[in-house]
Parts: sequence; structure tokens; C-alpha cells
Amino acid sequence: MLEILRSLRRNARLIRSFVVRDLKARYVGSTMGFFWSVVFPIINLFVFMFVFRFLLKARWDDAMGPKETGLIMLAGILVWASFAETLSRGTNCLVENSNLIQKVVFPSEILPVQLAISSIVNMLIGMPIVVIGTWIVMGNPFGWQMLALPLIIALQIVFTLGLGYFLATLNVLWRDTFHLVGVFTTVWMFATPIFYPASLIENFTIAKGDTKEEGYWAFGWMLDVNPMHWVIDSWRRVLLYGEWPEALALGRLAVVGVILFAIGATFFMRQKRTFPDLL
Amino acid sequence: MAENDEHAVGSVRAKALSKSYRLYAKPIHRLYDLVLPGKRFREFWAVRDVYLDVPKGGTVGIIGQNGAGKSTLLKLISGITMPTTGDVEVGGRVTSLIELGAGFHPEFSGRENIGLACSILGMDQAEIEEKTQPIIDFSELGEFIDRPVKTYSSGMHVRLGFSVATCVDPDILLIDEALSVGDEHFKGKCLNRLNEFSEAGGTTIFVSHDLGAVRAMCQSVVLMDAGKIVEQGTPERVADEYLKRVRAQSDSGAMNLRERGTSEYPVWGSGEIELEQVLLLGEGGEPARVFRTHEDVTVRLCYRAFTDTANPVFGVGIYRSDGTYVNGSNHLWRDRPIEFGPVGSGETGEVDYRLGRLPLLAGQYYLSTFVYDHSKPAPTAIDHREHVTTFEVMDAKAQQHGLLTLPSTWHVRRQPGDGGDEIRKDSES
Repeated sequence: MLEILRSLRRNARLIRSFVVRDLKARYVGSTMGFFWSVVFPIINLFVFMFVFRFLLKARWDDAMGPKETGLIMLAGILVWASFAETLSRGTNCLVENSNLIQKVVFPSEILPVQLAISSIVNMLIGMPIVVIGTWIVMGNPFGWQMLALPLIIALQIVFTLGLGYFLATLNVLWRDTFHLVGVFTTVWMFATPIFYPASLIENFTIAKGDTKEEGYWAFGWMLDVNPMHWVIDSWRRVLLYGEWPEALALGRLAVVGVILFAIGATFFMRQKRTFPDLL
Repeated sequence: MAENDEHAVGSVRAKALSKSYRLYAKPIHRLYDLVLPGKRFREFWAVRDVYLDVPKGGTVGIIGQNGAGKSTLLKLISGITMPTTGDVEVGGRVTSLIELGAGFHPEFSGRENIGLACSILGMDQAEIEEKTQPIIDFSELGEFIDRPVKTYSSGMHVRLGFSVATCVDPDILLIDEALSVGDEHFKGKCLNRLNEFSEAGGTTIFVSHDLGAVRAMCQSVVLMDAGKIVEQGTPERVADEYLKRVRAQSDSGAMNLRERGTSEYPVWGSGEIELEQVLLLGEGGEPARVFRTHEDVTVRLCYRAFTDTANPVFGVGIYRSDGTYVNGSNHLWRDRPIEFGPVGSGETGEVDYRLGRLPLLAGQYYLSTFVYDHSKPAPTAIDHREHVTTFEVMDAKAQQHGLLTLPSTWHVRRQPGDGGDEIRKDSES
């Protein structure tokens, strides 16, 4: 793990040019350029708003109108999209860049980092919409809470990278990983309170049988094992409610993130020497 | 590798270097091996126990047939793949002309790709800026340098790749035979660049299966076979061993025509006589498919007659692989012709066409055979077969270029300006 951190520091310049190259590549040749970073989540938002709010008549909170709900969803969508993109592209990054890994001496450990940073930047381009929207709709002032954002972003990156390193390595050894990740990400997205409030899942139960005596299946634990819920919840608290993020959530995120990163990075570096032969 | 300071810059030293690949029947077995005990793979040693010592400024050629492990060795030296056992010490910056322009991003301009390639090599911003202009100048891409690489022709792509690899002050240059750099003008520039590099004390390792090319460039040659170094030394000595091995491995020079079934090349004729076998015999009468220039080569045509024929004539045509008609002859049109005479049904026999000193230079060639009836005013085909068999010629000496060796000598006469005696020099053939 330390080895990977040293290498990342040494290759900081290279990572920078790869991030720039990736951000440019997203929009080179498209007329609307960076505008897509904003348009795409908003269109997503409208689709989900339409389905959940108007078709299924789901209410976020009695006190909240469509505008507030929209902003809350949008924050979740932006964070999730960035995470899901890193996960999916990260899993495939070694296979996709096999020409670099096989033909030149290349520090492949920078690839997941590059993707994570690039998608975070992409997310940050969309975030101001949420901030400005909150200011206009709810009149919430910008507070000192914004200072927590760098920490949230850093923890989000560490957690995502841990998974990314692990999955990228696994995908080299076993190509089905990529497809599994695609399926799993969708399941994970709907298990995370993005389009519905967390309270809904906290109070959600399914009866085990026909009578009350048989008890209920409870689902509240799902929030306790879902780091992405902690991430998204932290973002929302800071941007929308003007609150500080929950210390417990960030603490858990830090522990889980560092452990995952250690596992992923170790696995990656152990297998790294075999990459050129396996791609 | 640049950190490896205790090792002399520009030299390459391999010690007991081996590389094995694990071949799995199913990809999932690789995963099982990772978590479960046991081995589910077959080992394949691409490079085995190689000791190599290339001093700074050396130019070493590595030859061997396809699959001998040459390219794997280059990859090990360049650091792209890691050795399974043993190690390789490389002093200084290595760039390879193995795959020119690999790693260019198609959406980015040539200039941006230069920057990326340089930062992969570990340069800082100042160094990149300093190198960019010479690279652009050498590549002759002109205004194209600011267009996306995807718009480049393959020649332009390769030119940029070559420029990047050679303009970044490498200490060691790895060159693969597949080096084709486009038009003749640029090729000349490249060769000049490689010579300059060599003269300036750069170390070159050159991989090929073409003896002539290696001989022209290298003072020392290493022969690889099945992953091992089997011979090293002067080009002449190694070339000899190489030819022996190629010949031992290639299939024999017999082409059985009856078993061949339908030919993919044209065959026609009335069919009274058919060739059953065409044999290529090298020095010593051994069937072979690979010959060396000036070797004593015999083409043996084995025939069988099915019907009486008045006066058949056998002939052979030699073509270079690109279709150039090199030579054709038969036993009738000679100063002292052989009149075959009548052939009865059921007769078999052999007709030899002997080339006492094969004049062909290195390359791929093929033969066509002709059996014609010359008893009529215009000869008619009995058994005409195009492209019957192929063979290869290797030229260990590589003294002459082109298609054929010509028996020739060179003579020089010089008249010194100070009125001294005339100087005459004559070459051997």
C-alpha cells in the first residue's frame, strides 16, 4: 500500500496530464463540451422525478415541494454517477489501456486514480447547480460547513479507489468481473437512498408471515453497511441542509475506506507484474 | 531503472534471465490458482537461462526463428514484462522501436501526445518543452502536429513514434525488425539517426530473423532458439549455425503432387505424363527448403507416364515470391540438348535440374514445372503446374543486394594530385 502511495507521488505530474487528457477526451469533438457534465445529471433527474414523484406518487417529505426534492435527488445523482463511473471504468481500465501496459513501461497504478479524479472533477462541475439551486429555492446561506467538503471528497476517493484497485486487478484475472460490476452497481444504486429518503428504508418492513406474531423483516441495517449512503448523506447535509456531516458516518467511511484501499492496493501491486502477460 | 546507479549507463546485463508464461486451459483456472491450493497451468518458457552482456556503445543483433523468444527478451530488457527468474540490469533510459506510436491517444494532437509520451518516460515540464521542437522537426509533420493523431496516415503515425523514441536521448535503443518507417526519404533519415546514435556511444539491440539486416548493423550477433541462446559471436559464425538450424527444422524439400489434391494454383495439360513429386535437394543430396546463396542445388522431377508420348520436354521456372520471373529453362533448348525420345505407358523416371552455384540472393522463391510435348510444331502442355513448391534462400554474407549475385570484380585506379605513382586496387569476386 505504501508502495502505491510512493508511486502515485512520484507520478503526480503524469496523473495530472492523464486527468487533463481524460477530461478533454470526454468533450473533444462535442459542441456542448463541459455543459454535458450538467445536462446529463439533470436529464437523469427529470426521468427519476417523473417516475417516482408523478407516476408512483412518492413523497420525499410532506414539507417538501418538487423543487426541494429535485435538488436533494440531484445531489445524490451527481455523487452516485461519479462513483458508478469510476467503478465501471476503473474495473476495465487495465484492459482498456492494454496497449500502454504491454508496449511501454507504464505505471499502471495511476489509471484508477486518474479515473477517480477525473470523475470527481466532472461531479464538481455539476455541483454548483445544487448549491445555487439551494440558495434560490431554500434561501440557505453558504456556511462554514463547506469546509467539510474536501474531507468528504477525499474519503469518497479513498473508498472508491480501494474498490477500483481490487476490481481492476480481478478483471484482468477474470474478465467476467466487468459484467458483474455493471449488474451489481444497478442493484447498489437502488439500495442507496438517492431517489427516496433514508427514513423510508429505516422504517420499511415486510411481514414474515400473514400474522403479526410471526414478526417482520427489517431493512434498516442496509444503511449501516452502505458506505455510499454515508457519502451521499454527508454531501446533502452540507449542501442542502447547512449542517455539518455526521461524525459517525465520516468515521466509519474513513475506517472502511482505508481498509478497502489497503486490500485493493496490496492485491493490485502483488499482481501488477503479471499484467503485461495477461492482457 | 534510471535509479540503478551502480550499473554503468548504457549497458545491458542479463543474468540467468528466464521468463515463463502460465498457460491455462480456462481463464477461470487462473482465479482458482489464486485462492485454492494446487496448480492448474502448463508452463511455457519463452526465455530460458539467458546470459547477455552488452557493453555501452555495443550494437548487438538477436536472430532466431519465429517463437525463439527474441521479442520476449526485448520486452524483458525494456522492462515491460518482469522476469520469472534471474534478472536484467539496464543502465539508463531505454526506448524501443518495437511498436512505434503505441500509446498515442487518437483524439489528441501530435503535440499533446509528445508531451504524454515524454511524461511517461519520466521527464519534467522543462525537459518536455525542450524536446518537443526537435521531435516535431524530425517527424516532418508540419502543421499536422496540431491535428488529432486519428487523422494521421499510418506513415505519419510511425514517423511521430520514431521521432519520439529517438529524440529523447535514450541510452539504449531496442529495435524490432518490423521497423518500417514509410517512404524512402524518411527511411534514410531514420538510418542516419540510428548511425548517429550508435556513433555517439548509444547502445543498440536489434532483433530480426533477417540475417542480412543484422549483419549490416551489428558487430556481434546472438542466436536464440526455443528461448535459449545457442550461439553468439561474429555475424558469419552465428549465421552458419542459424542456417543449419533453420534447415533442420524446416520440412523436407519434397512436394508430393499426387497427395496434394486440388491445387490452389493453376494446373493444366493433356495428362499423358504426370509429375508425382518435386524434390529440392541441397548440398549433399539432402532434401531441403532453405538454401544459401552459391549452394549446389538440384530440382528433381519424378514423373510417371500413363500413355505413350513421342517426345516430352521437362522444364522448370523460378519466380521470386512477388511474382518476378527469375529464370526458366528446359533440357531441349540447350547447346547440347537432351532429346527425350518416346516414352511408353507405365514408365517412371527422374529428371534433375541442377544449379551448381545458386545465384539467388536472400528471399522467398517458388517453382513452376512444365512438361510439354515438342513433337508438334507448337509445343503443347502435357502437365503444366504453377507454383509447385516454395523455397527460401539465405545469404549469410550479404555482400550483394538485389535478386541475383553477378560474377563480378571491382577495380580502382587513383592518380594522386602530387604526381605520385598511380594506385591500383582490385577486389576479389
